[in-house]
Amino acid sequence: MLMVTVFFLFPLVNALYYAFVDFDGLNPAPPFVGLDNFTEMFTDPRVWAALQNNAIWILIGTVSPLVIGLTLALLMWTVRRGRTFYRVAFFLPYVLPQVAIGVVWSWIYDPIRGWLNRALELVGLEHWQTGWLGNPDTALYAVLATAIWATSGFVFIIFLSALRNVDIELVDAARLDGANTLQRLRYVVLPQIMPVFLMVTTITLIGGFSVFDIIFVMTGGGPAGATDVLGTYAYTNAFELSRISYGTTLALLITVLAIPFTIALNRLQRRVSMQGTGA
Amino acid sequence: MTVQDNTLSPRRRVALVNKHVLLVVLSLLALFPVILTVSTALKTARDAQANPFGFFSTFSSENIVTAWTVGNFSDYLLNSFLLSVPSTMIVVVLSTMAGYTFARLPFPGRTVAFYLVVLGLLVPFFTYMIPLYFQLRGIGLLNTLLGVNLVLATTGLAFGTFFMRAFFTDLPTELEQAARIDGASEWQIFLKIMVPLVSSGAGALAVFTFLQNWNNFLVPLLYLPGGEYRPLTTGLYLFLGGRSIDLGPLAAGTLITILPVIVLFVALQKQVTQGFLSGAVKG
Repeated sequence: MLMVTVFFLFPLVNALYYAFVDFDGLNPAPPFVGLDNFTEMFTDPRVWAALQNNAIWILIGTVSPLVIGLTLALLMWTVRRGRTFYRVAFFLPYVLPQVAIGVVWSWIYDPIRGWLNRALELVGLEHWQTGWLGNPDTALYAVLATAIWATSGFVFIIFLSALRNVDIELVDAARLDGANTLQRLRYVVLPQIMPVFLMVTTITLIGGFSVFDIIFVMTGGGPAGATDVLGTYAYTNAFELSRISYGTTLALLITVLAIPFTIALNRLQRRVSMQGTGA
Repeated sequence: MTVQDNTLSPRRRVALVNKHVLLVVLSLLALFPVILTVSTALKTARDAQANPFGFFSTFSSENIVTAWTVGNFSDYLLNSFLLSVPSTMIVVVLSTMAGYTFARLPFPGRTVAFYLVVLGLLVPFFTYMIPLYFQLRGIGLLNTLLGVNLVLATTGLAFGTFFMRAFFTDLPTELEQAARIDGASEWQIFLKIMVPLVSSGAGALAVFTFLQNWNNFLVPLLYLPGGEYRPLTTGLYLFLGGRSIDLGPLAAGTLITILPVIVLFVALQKQVTQGFLSGAVKG
């Protein structure tokens, strides 16, 4: 309890205080500025740009891992042999430190020697080649693709475990009744894993608000702010520009945006565990 | 499907083989960056400069040695352990105790206290990371192993308490009552009866927390600016900025960073998966 108070509750209250003063990290009695930090935040074009990047990140970064993870889980559903190997292979990316992931993917995106551009050349798409992380038009999506690679493994593992509770006889019955693969998925499988589906969606959604490590490592928010999200912009302000209060205010914005989804998630989790099927 | 693979009709067997081919290709795609790291790390220094991404063209330990000595990765590795092991132990011990308390021992204000702890699951680290920096500086814990271990432990406690409480809530109360009738004290009940019953949960929590702390980047980046206790994650980041042309040692450093994670994951696959799954589903 003491630890929680000192390292969590106290700084939390302090965060609110910082947001209403102008603190530079040195002045022990920072001047009270009221809502100035908030006014600045809402008129700062870079905040809106960062928010837009967060939105892109959340949209694509939620939908793609869901599709990929569910597809992989469905593929593996009836496979017996080699299960352990596939599980390890698909889940491993999610367990690795994001710094390491960022480093290696930067090599893949290397404009001259990277595998992506080389692969494009092999299939005759030279005109698609670009410096993926250096080009403001592609940088965000390149980093996002890396994140999707890592997150899909997580989604996959959750769906795989949820599918264990799906009644496979119903699926076979539907097959006999002439339902095709998509119909079986839509009307038989999905309804049974719906709570888990919603839960995974919310988890990846919340992650999209507080994304930091991978962008910080791969592009640092650049080129020219093209990949800045709220997290990296708050960090830059607080720790590189010594605008502590403004950075804190930006961090509060992340919190305010993320909390409704977190509450929704908690509700969902309670419902999932109440169904008794559990983890 | 209860049928064995070898009793399938020919048509379905072909479908299964196709599935396996597809799954192998996809696994290789998922593992591609890891394979690339190993390949580049094991090249000779010359080959790593000339042809860094060609697969397994030469073999040598030069890059590993460079990263280990010149790149300080031996220190980083030690620091990673010094930051991850104590914080994980704190989380597991305190969460088990707190989980038991919140599940089984009614005390005044229990609900409020529990909500305060669980609030940690709701509030992202971003919210309080900046004030925490100045607070640590104020009490002299910035740039210390103790400070960062405590911060890492606190970020893990909310989930840990939540997680362990669920285990204790699931246990039947008869056990506890029987022990109490036999004259066991509260501590005896906890240590001799309850803890052994939740050891699988505590194990999963330990592995999960260890990986989280090992992989954590932002906490050491913020609260260890001095560099004496730099762990692998921020060490690798520094190395990336400093000598980005030397791909060989960089790959070797990356390998040193991820190898313990891979070994742990493959060896304790069940616990890791359970930890992450429960993180998502239990509640």
